[in-house]
Amino acid sequence: MSPAQPTALIADDEAPMRDQLRMRLQEAWPELRIVAEAANGMEAVALAEQHRPDIAFLDIRMPGMGGIEAARQLYPRCHIVFATAYDQYAVDAFEQGAIDYLLKPVTRERLDTTRERLGKRLARAPQDIGAQLAQLGHLLRDGGARRPNYLRWIQAQVGSSLRMISTREVLFFQSEDKYTRVQTATTELLIRKTLKELADELDPDEFWRIHRSTLVRVDVIEEVSRDLRGRQMVKLRGWPEALEVSRNNAHLFQQM
Amino acid sequence: MVATQINRAVDFLRDAVNEASVLWWRFFDWLAMVEWRQLYLVWFLVLAFGVGFQLVDPAIWFIMISLGVKVLAGGKRRAELMAKEADEKANVATLERRLMEAKMAALQAQVEPHFLFNTLALIGQLIETDQKEAARVHAHLVEYLRSSLPQMRAGAGATLGKQVELSRAYLAIMQARMKERLAVRWEVPDFLGSSPFPPMMLQTLIENAIKHGLEPKVEGGTITVRAHVEHATLHVDVCDDGVGIDPHAGEGVGLANIRERLALLYGPQAELVIEAPLAGGACASIRLPYRMTEDG
Repeated sequence: MSPAQPTALIADDEAPMRDQLRMRLQEAWPELRIVAEAANGMEAVALAEQHRPDIAFLDIRMPGMGGIEAARQLYPRCHIVFATAYDQYAVDAFEQGAIDYLLKPVTRERLDTTRERLGKRLARAPQDIGAQLAQLGHLLRDGGARRPNYLRWIQAQVGSSLRMISTREVLFFQSEDKYTRVQTATTELLIRKTLKELADELDPDEFWRIHRSTLVRVDVIEEVSRDLRGRQMVKLRGWPEALEVSRNNAHLFQQM
Repeated sequence: MVATQINRAVDFLRDAVNEASVLWWRFFDWLAMVEWRQLYLVWFLVLAFGVGFQLVDPAIWFIMISLGVKVLAGGKRRAELMAKEADEKANVATLERRLMEAKMAALQAQVEPHFLFNTLALIGQLIETDQKEAARVHAHLVEYLRSSLPQMRAGAGATLGKQVELSRAYLAIMQARMKERLAVRWEVPDFLGSSPFPPMMLQTLIENAIKHGLEPKVEGGTITVRAHVEHATLHVDVCDDGVGIDPHAGEGVGLANIRERLALLYGPQAELVIEAPLAGGACASIRLPYRMTEDG
């Protein structure tokens, strides 16, 4: 059943790397016909649709659509071999898997092994590697630890451009009429978002609402004390004035 | 024999005098710092002790001397001691600051393994297909590593010119890899080359622009590095027309690091400004006090 002249597709965003893989494959596996070359995942999927290759060699990191996502769309129809220059997570995951991988620069010896493995598999239909791909994708996304989709950049119109303020720069937000004031150590800006909207979009572990009109970054809280009138006041690192904690929010500091 | 005995006696005497002087100054410092109330209590105990053991005279002498010292020299000595303590604290603060800077510099100078391995793979391929290009990329890599590995950078002055050189090498490599997907524009006037600029900051901005702006964009784009002086402030901008900033993606270690280092080095006089131009892409700008030369 194994095709006498198997076909393959190569996808890598760097042209020299495609050249290299093609050259090496031609040496190691002269019967293999390379029917298409793609520069990103999207192209790879489109070209595979058109050429129906038996094997797809996919670089993991490509612009737009990466190799893993492309593989998700390709795998029941062709065998997948991933290529990467360096990726500890990926290599670990491949070690025990049904997917083959190549480390760039590709060597002749390594390709002989790949040819041998694929030669056996080509007779059968490609295995279901969906679960493994999901795991790989998870591992590759910055080591797997991604927080939920909280707002990380505050956008403020300054003149004709949009200033981006990282939430890690912000000391506190304070509502002022229709606007909200964004205070950093060096600047003060006004944005149109209400404090309520901000409170909903920001990470509740990063920002605490200490008052109806104040949202404070927890990391910069230096101390909490009571003033002469018995109000709880929060002192921030790098900010001279203390901010008032309203009675409703006093519970935030009860355990401290 | 006689000589050694005399020597021994002299040594003993010298040690005794040293010890006595240490004790005296310790007593002196104690007197300077002690509160009057505590001193009264001590006097009372000494007097009681003196009466009990028939040593009233020495007790009175002790009280007179300590009173005299406390009144005449106490204030000055106490100020000295407090100044010394404050000095020590300040020194610790300076040391901590230095240590932090060194740590951050080391952190900043880490070469991304991904970049290194990809570049080596490229050189390996070019050796077979285009040896001239291989030699060029190899030279750029050496230049890049020389200026980015901290132990090799020792002694090199941190000027904008040096940082530009390093980034040119880096971008030349990235262009060899991304080909027509990456265009680079330099707008850094020569005369700004000698102005001091903290190491690796420009490089971090450029790496960010490539990694988060241009590499993810299928058709690639242009990165523009610009420097100019405005109101005695040096602006160094890195702009790209890539995919732009995702408001839900964290700013990453690199930018936070630059911000912290700027605050340590220049206080509120320096800042890192990130903007999203209306035309798309992202612009990062480091602004710090402009000085003409490194030691100026």
